[in-house]
Formats: sequence, structure tokens, C-alpha cells
Amino acid sequence: MMNEGQVLNASGPKKRGSSYRWLFITAARSFIVIVCVMIAVFFLIRIVPGDPAKMILGEYATPEALESMHHALGLDLSLGEQFLRFLSNLFTQGDTGNSIVSGNSTRVLIAERAPVTLLLIAMSSVLAIVIALLLATLASTNKNKWPDHLIRIFPTVTMGMPVFWVGLLLILLFGVRLRWFPVGGAGEGWGMAYSLILPSITVAFSQMPTLVRSLRAQMLDVLESDFIVTLKAAQIPSRVILFKHVLRNAALPTLMLFGVNLSYLIGGTLVVEQVFGIKGIGSLLFSSISNRDFPVIQGIALYCAVAVVIISLLVEIVSWWLDPRTKGKS
Amino acid sequence: MSKKYAFSRKLWVTGICTLLILVLVAGCSGGQSSSGSNENAGQNTNQAGQTEGNTGANPDQAATGGTFVYGRPAAVNSFDLHNQITANNAFAIDKVFESLLSFNSDGEIVDWLAESHSVSEDGLTYTFVLRDGVKFSNGTDVTAEDAVFSLERHLEVGGPLAIAAKVDSVKAQDAKTLVITLQEAYTPFLSELSNFSNGIIPKDFGGVSEEEFFKQPVGTGPFVVESWDPTGDVTFTKNPYYWQEGKPYIDKLVYKLIEDDSQAINQLKAGEVDAIESLALQNANEIKEGADTAVAENGSWVTEQIFFNTLDEHFADVHVRRALAQAIDREGLTNALTFGYAQTATSLLPTAIPYNSNDTVKALEFNVEAAKQELAQSAYPNGFSTKLLIASGNSSRAQAAQIIQAAGKEIGINIEIESIELAAFRERFFAYDFSMMINSGQADSPEANSIIAFQTDPDGFSKSYWTHYTNDEVTKLLREGQKTQDGEERAATYAQLLQILADEVPYIPLYYPEILKGVRSSVDGLIVLPNGSLRFEEVRIGQ
Repeated sequence: MMNEGQVLNASGPKKRGSSYRWLFITAARSFIVIVCVMIAVFFLIRIVPGDPAKMILGEYATPEALESMHHALGLDLSLGEQFLRFLSNLFTQGDTGNSIVSGNSTRVLIAERAPVTLLLIAMSSVLAIVIALLLATLASTNKNKWPDHLIRIFPTVTMGMPVFWVGLLLILLFGVRLRWFPVGGAGEGWGMAYSLILPSITVAFSQMPTLVRSLRAQMLDVLESDFIVTLKAAQIPSRVILFKHVLRNAALPTLMLFGVNLSYLIGGTLVVEQVFGIKGIGSLLFSSISNRDFPVIQGIALYCAVAVVIISLLVEIVSWWLDPRTKGKS
Repeated sequence: MSKKYAFSRKLWVTGICTLLILVLVAGCSGGQSSSGSNENAGQNTNQAGQTEGNTGANPDQAATGGTFVYGRPAAVNSFDLHNQITANNAFAIDKVFESLLSFNSDGEIVDWLAESHSVSEDGLTYTFVLRDGVKFSNGTDVTAEDAVFSLERHLEVGGPLAIAAKVDSVKAQDAKTLVITLQEAYTPFLSELSNFSNGIIPKDFGGVSEEEFFKQPVGTGPFVVESWDPTGDVTFTKNPYYWQEGKPYIDKLVYKLIEDDSQAINQLKAGEVDAIESLALQNANEIKEGADTAVAENGSWVTEQIFFNTLDEHFADVHVRRALAQAIDREGLTNALTFGYAQTATSLLPTAIPYNSNDTVKALEFNVEAAKQELAQSAYPNGFSTKLLIASGNSSRAQAAQIIQAAGKEIGINIEIESIELAAFRERFFAYDFSMMINSGQADSPEANSIIAFQTDPDGFSKSYWTHYTNDEVTKLLREGQKTQDGEERAATYAQLLQILADEVPYIPLYYPEILKGVRSSVDGLIVLPNGSLRFEEVRIGQ
């Protein structure tokens, strides 16, 4: 994360010298992380008890039926052989194999489910950032007055509320009682965005406490720094100070925090999808785990890991670009 | 420089976090599919023209046409009737394919695609005459040749609901007459034929490949698959050639996947679905009392039970099993857990199954003193410690486990409850890796043999429902019941068999849960079958 109280008023990089080497090393490390996640997921889900064939065929399936199902699914092979098969599939077809349950390619399944999940992530991110910015601005400009106190209580309270519970409350109030929004599912086109309003509020709710808290601290640091005092002394209007200098300086740490939080946000989305009955990546993951649908679990893990790693990488690059001092600074 | 390390550390942390999230999600997912992938064996349908609407709409207001949306906890992933058994698929397959015989909401076998049937006196020859004017959904006529092809494929495939009768031949005598001969008499055969897995498909899959056929299935059922996502919803349209003229009344039927139970209930309350398949006992009253919602019920073919592993050192002892059976107040347990939506069990067979003998069987009564005396006769007079295995995500079972735990403590048996996720649960008891567990047994068809064979046959793959219970007298009676023609003699055989089970308690039947469906009050004409499936032919959606 950023150093507190760091003040940035210049923009753009100054030197790029050995940056490419740095970029290469970090990219290589990202790759290693993804590989490790893949290996861990592959073996973990096979260590966990539970047999996909039994989940498909039910308790009344004969041993013969189970055996032929095992063979059809390639589960009669040794772990090593299964892993080799998995790797060759990954490199030749860029896929983790066909779903055990539906027989469709994992890539296709994920591609079908991705739009709604991505939209949900995007909507909740925007919502979380906008609301956090508003609240943090309000709190920091009214330090130790009642808006500040109120806004500081807010994270403490909401931190303790489980995401699914918030979701259920919103469903009961706005879906079942008032009927302003659909209770669950996601429509098509604009209907999709509309039906995702409640879920994205739910996800944003879980993200806001940390964002508001740290953003407020960042803004206070900037507000109390020497150059703002100087600007104030020069009788620059406070609105200008706020938007041109304070927010700009607070933006960078928030961005970095948001980048790190994004992996939690993706995790939160998966749970919220379940609560709202949205057929996205999250519900696919849930049902795949229940059914021990190995290829799909691996596929989702792979894509999530890649997404999280790439985002962290991007955040790192962008923040370094915004403030070159972040590179090589401990 | 140290920043690089800091960064790589962060990468590792993010990687590990992703993993943790996945593991967490895995941990939380326990209950999700338990209702959906629950081992419901389902089958076909009901009596033509029978109206048994369970919901209270005014039929005058109800109109024909419209789309009926049914919320279900698990997706339909295959229409291959010969290879499926679980409810998620069975209750979709039975909308598309129909069998020669079926059963009505009371569980009585009725002629369905067959106009009539007859069985020879020796019980070896079965003759079926097909109804006139039955067509597949592509408009072609159904002939006896199609029935031959369908049954032969089932015999060849085997599958999870394989035909248990020893079939000698299946022949088409003429276009309308089908003759099946058996190698030895097998009375449950007719009820077996009423199963969805014995549905009639066009000969040679109507000229397409097997794979193509089950993607675009063609049957005689009231509905045709319009679109289908194996991980999501199914949309059916009405079959224009359906043999019950004018039916179904609705134009479309949508199976909407709603995995989360509370989400399903909320969608029902908000009117986003017309009915929901999975309604937990504890939520039934809330739906019943709702202004716009109602509960449709029917007796089921399910018996909730405690199973003992008779290979376990403690439960191999019949006195231990009898002691525990007498320590448990089954009636109290039923009342506490099922909110009036279940009947306390006496016999292994639910009351909706013929020959259930609930009136005659004497089950061990709740009596703590007798239980203590019984335990004193066992090899463990001072009690012992054991474990009770349950699948997580089923709150009724979790509560039942606590009641059983308390009952055991009364007589000196310390029971530790072990609650694990469904997939792991199955893995455990399939391997006989349990001492006692709570689970349910259920019939595939309205036939005593269906449950009894699965729970007593030591030669079956299920080894007396994984209790490994073996009793030669029981096995003998089981075989007799399969050969005896329907009548008093058969009833006596089963009464005797069920009494032995009640005395030796390889399992304690607890209660027979009712089938509960949440329905909008505006829905009329819905028929709930005892296997848990619904008939939509006479459904009308009101205002």
C-alpha cells in the first residue's frame, strides 16, 4: 500500500530506465502465481472427498454404472495421468476440459456466464468508489463534526453485516414488499443492468467500509499537509483545493487499495450471485463444487487467478506511472 | 529493491487469497445442492382426465394459455431416460416421454399409452394394447414397434433404473399390440413399467443419432423442449399432437433454475415464479399463510430413517439397535420437526405404498425404561460412544440428530453428530464408513418391492441400504413377494417381512414426510404426484 501522508502534485513518469526489466520480472512472477494456483486447485479438489459420478448418478446407481461413468470421465486414470491430460488440454485448446455435468466446454460455459458477472463487478465497483468518495470527502472536510462521526460509525456497523444478510434484507424490502426491483435472476440487455442494481448495492456495501476509512485518512493527511496550508493561506477557494489537489492526491492510494480489494470484491460477487439467484460465474462455481465438476472448478479458478493477478499488475503499473516514486520505494 | 520483494509478496498474498476464497466457497456450498441433487428417483405421471387441483383459485377466473414458471433447485442436464434417476432430470423427462402405464396422485397404477393390459395366469406373459391416435410430438403415429425399440434399448443400457424383471422377449404382435414374456414371474413388473425410464421413444430415434435425439427429444408427452441450457433453464412448449385432446391448457412451461431456497421462496412471494419445487418443512406455514401463496401437498413414497451399519461393532448387536429404537420418541420428533407435514412411521413403507402394513406392524414403542433393560441385555450394558453421520444443509436432519443425541444420552449411549457436505456424505456411507446415519429411503414406483428390495436384499449392490443387514428369512420373504401375484397372500408375506424389520431394526423408520410445493394462489389444476413430480396438463393460471 501507499505511504501515508505521501503527497503528489507532479504528474507523469520521470525516468523509465530499467523499467522493462522490472516489468518482465513481475510478469514472470505473476505467471508463477497462476501456475501454483492451478496446481493447488487441481490437487485440492481431488483430495476433498466426493465423487462426481455419484453426484450425477445419485445414490441408487449401480457399481457398474459408476464404473462406466468413471471411465467416461477419465477418473479411473491415476492422478498423474489426469494432471498430464489436464495440462495438454490447457495448452492445446486453452481449456480445462468439458464439464462433467453438462458436457459443454468449460470455456464456453464461462463465456456464457461472464457478461452478467463482469457487469455486476463493474456496477458494484463504480457504486463503491462513488459513494466512498462522497462520504470520505464529506467526513474529511467536516473533521470531528457530526457528519464525520456519522460516517465513521458507518464502516464499523457495516463491517459486521454479512453480505448475504444485507442482500436478503434488500430483497425483502425492495423486491418482495415494494416490488421496485426483481427479487432475483438477471434479465437481458438493459433489464440486466436494472436487475443487477440490488446485487451491486449489496456488493458495494461490503466494499465501502475499508474504502471510506482509508480514503478519509488519506484526505485528512493531504488536507493537513504543508502545501494545502500554503494554498489556503494564498486564499485559493476551498472547492478548488479540494478537487484539484486533495482528491487528486487521495486518488492514488485509493486506486491501490481498490486494486487489492478487487479480489475480495470478486469473491463477494460470487456469494451475492447465489443470494440473488443470478446465473453468473459464482453460481456456476457453487454448483460445480457441489457436483465435484472438476474441469469447471479448475477453469473458474484459472480465470479468477488470472484476472486478480492481471489487475494487481495493472494497478501496480498505473500507480507507478502516476507516481514513479512508488517504484523501488519500500 | 525491497519494493520488488514487497510486490512479489503481494502477488503471493493475492494468489493465496484467491485460493482461500475458493476454499471458503467450497465450504459454504454444502447445503446448496442438497435439495436439488437429492436422490429422488422419479417417474411418470397420472390418470387421464383426473383433476386433483391442490390449490384454491377460482377456475372461472383462470384462463387457458400463458406461461407457467416453475422454480427448481437443480438444472436439467440430460433427457436420456435410460441413464437418469435424479429428480432434476426425472421430472423433466416425464414431461416429454410417457410410458405404457402410469400412476395417479394416489399412487394407483393406471393404463396410460396402453389402452388396456393383461397378464397371463402364470405371470409370464404381459400383453398391452396401445391407445388409438397417440402421436409423437413430430406428428408420427406411435406403434408397438416403437415400444419394442424403447424397452430393448433400456434392457441393453441397463442404467440406474434398470428393468429388474428377467425379460425373455419383447415383441410387436401387430401395430397396436405389444407382448412381453418373462423368464420367471415378477409381480412388480407392471409398476416398474410405469417408471419414466420406460417411456416410449420413436424407433431408431426417429432417424437421427442418439446424441442428437436427446438434445431435441421427441416423445408423446404433453410438452416439447423448446430451448434448454444444461446449466440453467428449460423452456417447454405444449405438444400440439398430445393425445389428451385440448391439453395442456398452458402454452409454455419454464423450468427456472433457482439454487438458493430462500431466493426461491422470495421469487414465489413476489410472483416471479408460479410454483417452486423445493419447499422445506419449516417454510411451509409461511407460504400457506401468505396472501398470494399456497402449499400443494401429497403423501410421498419417502421414509425418513435412522440407518445402522450392522458391520459396526456396536450396532451389530440387535439389542443395541432395539434399545436405541425404544429410547427415541418418534412421535415427538415428528411433531417437533415437521410442523404437521409428516406422519409418524410405524412400518418401513410409507402409507402411500400398497402393502405398507402400517396398521398391523408393531413397532418398538418409546419407553426409556424398556430401552435401558434392552441395553442391559446387549454386549454393552454400560453404554458406549458412537457417531451419527448426517449430510449438512438439511436443517430437519440436523435437528433430528440433536433429538437422537439427547435420547441416546438418556440410556448411556454418547452420540457425536458428524455433519458433512453431501458429496462427502455419499462417499462415506457408500464405503460403509459410518456407524449410524440419517437418510431417507424412497420408492421408484408404487410398489412395496421397490423400497424393500433396496433395503433388505443382501445380494443387491446397495447391501440393504449400506446397513449390510442380512436375514435369511427376510431374503426368502423378499423373493416370495416378488413372485406372488397381487392379493392377500402377497399382503401376508409383506406383513411378516415388515414385522421382522420392526423387531430387528436395521433402520428406525421415523416419519413419512409429505411432498410440499409452494404455489401461487392464482394457479389451478396442478397435480402433485407421490414421487414429487407435478402434472401440468390441467393447469390454468388465473389473475
